[in-house]
Amino acid sequence: MRTSLGRKLSLNTLALIVFAFSVFPVYWMVLTAFKPTKDIQAETPSFFPTNITFAHFGTAVNADGFWLFWRNSALVAVTAVLLSLVVACLAAYAVARMKWRGRQAFILMVFIAQMTPWEALLIPMYVIARDTDMLDKLTMLTLIYFMVTLPFTIVTLRGFLKAIPIELEEAAQVDGCNQFQAFRRIVFPLLAPGLLSTSLFGFITAWNEFAFANLLIIKNQDQRTLPVWLSSFSNTFGTDWGATMAAATLFMLPVLLIFLVLQGRVTAGVAAGAVKG
Amino acid sequence: MAVTHVETPETPVAPHAGPPAAGRRGPALPVRLLPYLLIAPTVLGTAYLLVYPLIRNLVISFQKFGIAQLIRGGADFVGFDNYRQILSDRMFWSVVLRTFVFTAINVTLIMVLATLVALLIGALGKGMRLAVMGGLVVAWAIPVIAATTVFQWLFQSQLGVVNWVLVALGFEQFDGYAWFANGTSTFAIIVVLIVWQSVPFAALTLYAAMTTVPKELHESAQIDGAGGVKTFTLITFPILRPMFGLIFCLEVIWVFKCFVQIWAISQGGPGNATLTLPVYAYQVAQSLNRYDLGAAISMVTVLILAVALLAYFRQMFKEEGEL
Amino acid sequence: MKFRSLAVAAVAALSLTAVAACGSSDGDSDNAASGPTTIDVWLMKGSVSDDFLKRFTDDFAAKHPDIKANVQIQEWNGIGPKIIGALASKDAPDVIEVGNTQVAQYAASGGVKDLTDKKADLKGDDWIEGLAGPGNYEGKQYGIPYYAANRVVIYRKDLFQAAGVTPPKTRDEWLATSAKLNTGGNQGIYLPGQNFYVLSGFIWDEGGDLAVKEGDAWKGALSTPEALKGMDFYKQIQALGKGPKDSDEAKPTQTDVFAQGKVAQMIAVPGAAELIAQANPALKDKLGFFPIPGKTADKPGAVFTGGSDLIIPEASDGQDAAYTFIKELAGEQWQTDLAKTMKYVPNRKALAGSVGSDEGVAAMAAGAANGKATPNSPNWAAVEAKNPIKEYQTKVLTGGDPAAAAKAADEIITQALNTK
Repeated sequence: MRTSLGRKLSLNTLALIVFAFSVFPVYWMVLTAFKPTKDIQAETPSFFPTNITFAHFGTAVNADGFWLFWRNSALVAVTAVLLSLVVACLAAYAVARMKWRGRQAFILMVFIAQMTPWEALLIPMYVIARDTDMLDKLTMLTLIYFMVTLPFTIVTLRGFLKAIPIELEEAAQVDGCNQFQAFRRIVFPLLAPGLLSTSLFGFITAWNEFAFANLLIIKNQDQRTLPVWLSSFSNTFGTDWGATMAAATLFMLPVLLIFLVLQGRVTAGVAAGAVKG
Repeated sequence: MAVTHVETPETPVAPHAGPPAAGRRGPALPVRLLPYLLIAPTVLGTAYLLVYPLIRNLVISFQKFGIAQLIRGGADFVGFDNYRQILSDRMFWSVVLRTFVFTAINVTLIMVLATLVALLIGALGKGMRLAVMGGLVVAWAIPVIAATTVFQWLFQSQLGVVNWVLVALGFEQFDGYAWFANGTSTFAIIVVLIVWQSVPFAALTLYAAMTTVPKELHESAQIDGAGGVKTFTLITFPILRPMFGLIFCLEVIWVFKCFVQIWAISQGGPGNATLTLPVYAYQVAQSLNRYDLGAAISMVTVLILAVALLAYFRQMFKEEGEL
Repeated sequence: MKFRSLAVAAVAALSLTAVAACGSSDGDSDNAASGPTTIDVWLMKGSVSDDFLKRFTDDFAAKHPDIKANVQIQEWNGIGPKIIGALASKDAPDVIEVGNTQVAQYAASGGVKDLTDKKADLKGDDWIEGLAGPGNYEGKQYGIPYYAANRVVIYRKDLFQAAGVTPPKTRDEWLATSAKLNTGGNQGIYLPGQNFYVLSGFIWDEGGDLAVKEGDAWKGALSTPEALKGMDFYKQIQALGKGPKDSDEAKPTQTDVFAQGKVAQMIAVPGAAELIAQANPALKDKLGFFPIPGKTADKPGAVFTGGSDLIIPEASDGQDAAYTFIKELAGEQWQTDLAKTMKYVPNRKALAGSVGSDEGVAAMAAGAANGKATPNSPNWAAVEAKNPIKEYQTKVLTGGDPAAAAKAADEIITQALNTK
């Protein structure tokens, strides 16, 4: 590829701007987490850490139930995402690779499911959970998050599947793979970037959800999740923002971790796909 | 490319199915049933976790259902009263209009920026690419409550970073400027926040999709003398059109029903400057505890959204038909 | 109204006790018939300190071995839907602390037990009005007064001294004092534009109100001449500092702003002083308190009485035990202790003297004499949820026409209060 130095430079400058814009608010959050309370609302904002304190992280980590709620959230989010990935993979494959009666109706259903205004279903969900003794249970939350992320997962996976040339699969089958093997060896690696962004999306959605977690976990406080806990640093006078931001930083880490772990595989998958393609 | 697939359920194109497929009995019943088996979990899950609550919601929208009925039960049916009340309210229609404007502005910005960012990522070297992608993921991963808080801080009238920077740059009129006192500027801040939060997903997904476009196509286009813009319009976009359509559709849906950010920042205010349908529904349902009206509004919302996206669905089905 | 805690740091540890207490309740179902009745109690974050809770529950366990009380601490964020969810559930908590202005809403729903017949037993004639009134809905007492607090002015003694001023007694003095302090990079007073409880006080001082009931219907009253005068004063005093015109006391947290050391006065409940001292220990001994000045020196300004009531859900299966719990917590011994520990106004007038000599509490008690409540309608909570008063304040402070803005806000209030 021919790349002149000037082009490269301007590209990198652009990239830096994009990077700065996306990161700045997050940087501000993390910075706040390290600032002493006194400096959080300073008259002249300081853009660099000067007076670092770990006190807010101490408050957050030592706040009661931190690990418990962390575990609850992780459990709920991971289960919901895995469940929806598996279920969606099956459905997306059926939609993208097979022809059957009722397929259009099914796709339409998935899209309409995608439009559900979930906040509006708080009350019906509550009533259903109450009448089936599912209040105060993480299972109910997991199922709801599964459902919230499922339509999206199907839709995107279908898009990714469609973008993968069917010939690759056919070639593999000619080479003696059965349909499942062809999927696993050829399609799956190419699907990896799609799986990454969809699972991340699902995870973030489930990980962040507040309204259902607040309403459906009523009496059993041990079943609360992190977003509900995150609001526990407020009192009459407002909020202990240092601790909230520290908690939010810790809260964000798993998502980044997942990204970093998956990132390597994705690039590998893309590369492998490119070679084979 | 996506439109060239010719496919039948029993995939093998060549008749020599070969030893591994020996067990198969041609287009037998299990094969024809396979797609239905594959979608069964989705259908069952949706039936219980979505259709059923939606039906309950629909029922509530035909009842008088407030906090008292929630607690004691025994809601009376009132026919279309709730719908009549909403649809005859001029406020409702102004909210609908605002929601469309809000969606149009946001989605346009998101699509344009996301495409540019995705192209940018593709053109970068490995280190820079990872940095930008990492930055995007960070923006995407920040908890909503933290993101909205930080945005509110940035735009605080006193002690806010934005005003501080503007004043430092010589715009004295922004000293103590009250961003949230004004409908337009509050609206703009929410747009910035939503675009900022939405671009990462769209950009990363588009980038991931772009990596599936065979490099040879790009290279041959470049050999033919096509520039960046041409390569995009002639190769990338046509190939990925379904993907663009999909993301566009998803963003429309999300922005249209976007709730948390607006509620946290302005609760629909000042005045009704940022009152969109979902915020309005929540306001009615949770603040006034009129769950019946809220349910009716949400049903109308789904309907409006479905109608608005009808064109997209038709297009999509046309493509499906060619499949 | 949300009236939350004074001792934030203590609170984190507090819920630990609560959770630990819950942890041992596994065997409940087995011995429900023969063993002690278990009740679940929801107290709001910050209503009690860790230490107080332990003293209270120990004493309660000793006095009432037949009742096992699990106290859980709830967060303020999202508490509205959660309480409704609890009232509607089959297995509701047995005692719930509810913000005083929220009681009517729950009482109207029919999910709360009527406790009118217990009023005499609890010496209800002596209850302070700011708690008993909102706890009463259509002549029946649903909410039992728990504790109250109201706003005072917290000021910097050193800055007052440097400027050669003393705490003002009247509004005019207050304006003059604040103007004097508002120099040299210091703010005379930090008053965010949207503190509508402070505005309410000013309006009550003028003889106005937020809304009035005419026959069966409510009517927003911000556009009355009295209320407009109140807003006018708010605008004058607000201008003597850099309080943001488009935000309330939580955004940014006003104690954090005060802790910067450049603010001479702010309006908050006395407990806020502890947070300031926590954020900036150098200010610890420099903080003083005085009641919000009234129009004349003989009467402090009217204040909004914030606080909480205790309710028993209809769905509770241990209502007798729940009442026993309330009787203890709302009784003389623990009210006195609570008021001292948490710097609250106790629920009965007769106990006011027992609070002690704390400067902040004294200022609060002086103001409390002129305490008032928001309109007692089940829909008032809806008005606060999307607050037209706050928007009205911002509009006026940023140069809008007060009369027109007040009228617009009145329309929203009227509509919200009359929604059936």
